[in-house]
Amino acid sequence: MLAAPDAQDLAVQAPPMAIASGQIAARVQSFDQPAEGGLSPRNANYQMDVRLDHATHTLKGRQTLRWRNISAHETSELQFHLYWNAWRDRDSTWMRERWLGGNRTPPRDDAWGSIDIESLEVRQANSQLVVLKPGWNPAPDAARGPARFIAPDDDNSADRTVLAVTLPQPAAPNETVTVDIEWTSKVPRTFSRTGYIDDYYFIAHWFPKIGVLEDNGWNTHQFHSPTEFYADFGVYDVGMTVPRSWLLGASGREVSRADNADGTTTHRYRGEDIHDFAWTTSPDFVEATQTFTHPTLPPVEMKLLLQTEHAGQEQRHFAATAAALKYYGEWFGPYPYGYITVIDPAYQSGSAGMEYPTLFTAGTRWIAPDRVSSPESVTIHEAGHQFFYGIVATNEFESAWMDEGLNQFADARALEAGGFPDYLSRRYFGGFVPWVFDDIRLSRATEGNGLAGYRLSPEGDVPATHTFRYWPGTATRITYFKTALWLHTLERHLGWPVLQRIMATYFDRWKFRHPRPDDFFQIANEISGQDLSWFFNEVFRSSNTFDYAVQELASLAAGKNQRTSVVVQRLGEAVFPVDVLTTFADGSTTTERWDGRARRQIYVYDRPTAAVSAQVDPKHVLLLDVNRTNNSRATRPRADEASLKWALTWMVWLQDLMLTYGFFV
Amino acid sequence: MSAPHETGFRFEDRSGNETRFPWRSWVDGFRRVWSAPAVLLGVFACTFLMAVPMALVVRASLRAHLGNSLEAAGAADGVNYDWWEEFTAQASGLGATFSPSILGFAPVLDNVSGVLDGQSEILPVTGLLGGYLLLWTFLSGGIVDRLARQRPTRPYGFFMASGTFFFRFLRLAVIAGLIYWLMYRYLHHWLFDEWLLRVTRPLDTERTAFVWRMGMYAIFGAALVLVNVIFDYSRIRAVVEDRRSMVGAMLASLRFIWRHPRQVVGLYFLNSIAFVTLVLVWAFAAPGAGGPGVSMWLVFLVSQIYLLARLFLKLQFIASQTALFQRSLAHARYTALPAAAVPVSPAAEALSTSLA
Repeated sequence: MLAAPDAQDLAVQAPPMAIASGQIAARVQSFDQPAEGGLSPRNANYQMDVRLDHATHTLKGRQTLRWRNISAHETSELQFHLYWNAWRDRDSTWMRERWLGGNRTPPRDDAWGSIDIESLEVRQANSQLVVLKPGWNPAPDAARGPARFIAPDDDNSADRTVLAVTLPQPAAPNETVTVDIEWTSKVPRTFSRTGYIDDYYFIAHWFPKIGVLEDNGWNTHQFHSPTEFYADFGVYDVGMTVPRSWLLGASGREVSRADNADGTTTHRYRGEDIHDFAWTTSPDFVEATQTFTHPTLPPVEMKLLLQTEHAGQEQRHFAATAAALKYYGEWFGPYPYGYITVIDPAYQSGSAGMEYPTLFTAGTRWIAPDRVSSPESVTIHEAGHQFFYGIVATNEFESAWMDEGLNQFADARALEAGGFPDYLSRRYFGGFVPWVFDDIRLSRATEGNGLAGYRLSPEGDVPATHTFRYWPGTATRITYFKTALWLHTLERHLGWPVLQRIMATYFDRWKFRHPRPDDFFQIANEISGQDLSWFFNEVFRSSNTFDYAVQELASLAAGKNQRTSVVVQRLGEAVFPVDVLTTFADGSTTTERWDGRARRQIYVYDRPTAAVSAQVDPKHVLLLDVNRTNNSRATRPRADEASLKWALTWMVWLQDLMLTYGFFV
Repeated sequence: MSAPHETGFRFEDRSGNETRFPWRSWVDGFRRVWSAPAVLLGVFACTFLMAVPMALVVRASLRAHLGNSLEAAGAADGVNYDWWEEFTAQASGLGATFSPSILGFAPVLDNVSGVLDGQSEILPVTGLLGGYLLLWTFLSGGIVDRLARQRPTRPYGFFMASGTFFFRFLRLAVIAGLIYWLMYRYLHHWLFDEWLLRVTRPLDTERTAFVWRMGMYAIFGAALVLVNVIFDYSRIRAVVEDRRSMVGAMLASLRFIWRHPRQVVGLYFLNSIAFVTLVLVWAFAAPGAGGPGVSMWLVFLVSQIYLLARLFLKLQFIASQTALFQRSLAHARYTALPAAAVPVSPAAEALSTSLA
């Protein structure tokens, strides 16, 4: 059973921040310089061929992996992810966490998926070893042998998502090992955005995939329900054989296509400097292409595979993808691949809103009002992941906030910068019929960053906790929303030019590598020229909440003047410096800078007129403040007026409800 | 029994042209409701007054949350959605129903969708709805009586009819409630939670799933309408024929529907068209949040006019069905309960006699 560590323990155990400018953070891998002719180290290269059997929903594949040890130390084994075994039975760690996360509906019999290694052969410079022969299928709790399942995260002996293979001889740093694997898979009825529905397939994290060997050892986590992936860069050369006339989209770029005698077609794709490979196929796609152009950024060929029933929404997908390429490109750095594939997933496929290198799934609806930012929002988000995940390849098992949170912040910013309409909508009649609220335009600062979601459990987990150890139900709120909120707070605190330089520097230094949290914090300190440790300690190393309030505002006659007292209060545990603005009846104002540390602070003013209002954090810099309403106080509040208006509005709803139920009499 | 002039019948259609009955009944029903403004205003007042206490509770909750905050200004002048979300995140009870679905046309979608999807309401709202249905159960006798007579029955006559039929209609309501409960418990569950899930599970196109769901709504809605019509005519027959047995009234209602299917369906269709038309007009005319002061009251006033129109149509359903029944039945020359004959006091009688 997973349990989140105690917040205080984590805060105490957290390592001290690297503050000084230029200080080198701990490296993940020592030999991660780009390979010759490449953008990345290219140390995990796959040549694969896979055939889809639509009738049995199975894949049969073979792959040759050429893996180079780019860590500082030799290794005596290889570790592989076998992600699809997470859905082999109910005992996997993924399924247990799914249950803990609140999904108690058992999968149907036809929903399960799995991957079985048929054979595995290792070749090193001076040796060749058949580790596994055809038909090998060890018990999950098999004792140590040349190949065995391991459970490094929770010792769950029933989990088969990580396979360890002992090498014939230790692989030295910079040594290359070649591994030939044959395997078969049962395609699930969609778990974790991979699977099939009818004749739509979305195939992701589908092949035996080598883990990441870091300087301090293998980083190969089991598959967890709240987390995603982590892998090294390489070149993928993949042939996919599917029924003829089915359209196919994949990571990389198509290099050849050949029809086979058995009524199938083999599509071969090649992707360079990517760390994963996903593909999709269906006879129901409609293909469209456009080219993204920009005065200073490289052109990108955008390919869209759209569901037939979403015809007419092509431009919305292209515009959103182009917005991500433009703004992320301008703010952080150019998209280097020259191509990108957007997949509009099938209804109920469960594969919407997911990123893979050079390919992502968006997600829209049959009725999609153009005043609502769907599919734009999800499209920008997933396209944005090409930068934070695809290029800056963080460890999503441990620090998912580094791609999801940064991207949540950036996609909201791009959505606003792109001028996409973003009104609130609700869906009725089983979620099919949308209604747009023209009165409610959503704000980037709150809605875009997910304040409402964060507010539900601001103390849910300490962000410094490894993501796979988050309580499954709180992961999203912390990973996405809290990060986006503190980044936007930092934007307002430092100014966008500074934060933009921080993120651009981070992007540039860590593209095609694996940064850790301290790498980002170090760059933030360096570029801002400030020690921001206090801030990161609050937002990253603690689960404290921010809540400032105006406790008291009063003016009394004092001679010819009015003596005004303002009492501001810190209700939450977290600390942030805030302004305190007091406005007087003659229109004059005074602003104080409060370091926000004390529980209360009192300001007294002698002015010719009385105060009319006081506000703490009037510019709303601190977006993490969970109670904004108590941040201000007025001597002539309009609560009576506002409450009357909204009570009348609510009453009309209630009357309408009564009349609707009146049908029954 | 009552004298002929008390029957109140003004139309005697013996032409045999039954196909025109629905339209004539609909027009007749419209006239009957139009000529009974006190009934319309009465039920409107009841609906309004029953909603007021809870609205006051919500107002108190909103006011308490806003307190002295400057956020109130934004909420008063328009929509302060940031504050709104903060409020709902912290609200409980009635406050939890304070969602964007209260704005403009959304309540119609929210409420109709909720009824068709079998969504439950929070306990206080459920209690209010129960009370409201009970009130309608009480008022139904007087309303049908008034619309059947086509002349003012005065409060005394109205409430006498209401009182007379209350316990009969209560028995009917128990039967109706049981049937509706069974429909939601089994038919709805079977249609939406089993059949619909089964047929839509393999679908990879939303459009098809949407059509299936609409189909389920049509089936379940038709079943609801059928039961609704049976109980409508049960009440009408109970009042017009002064029936004491509600089981008998239901059987009589079924006989009537069975023998006049085209008329009954046609009339229901006409009434439904009127309802849909009103809803569509409201979809375009429904005001948004509005601002403070006059704007706020204007929004409220327009909304109340819409609700008044909804109530008019509800009475129109009853009145036109009553008209159809009275027009269709061969032995229709009878009346509802006799008008109240108030005993004259002995003193007045003596005075009258002496004057004579």
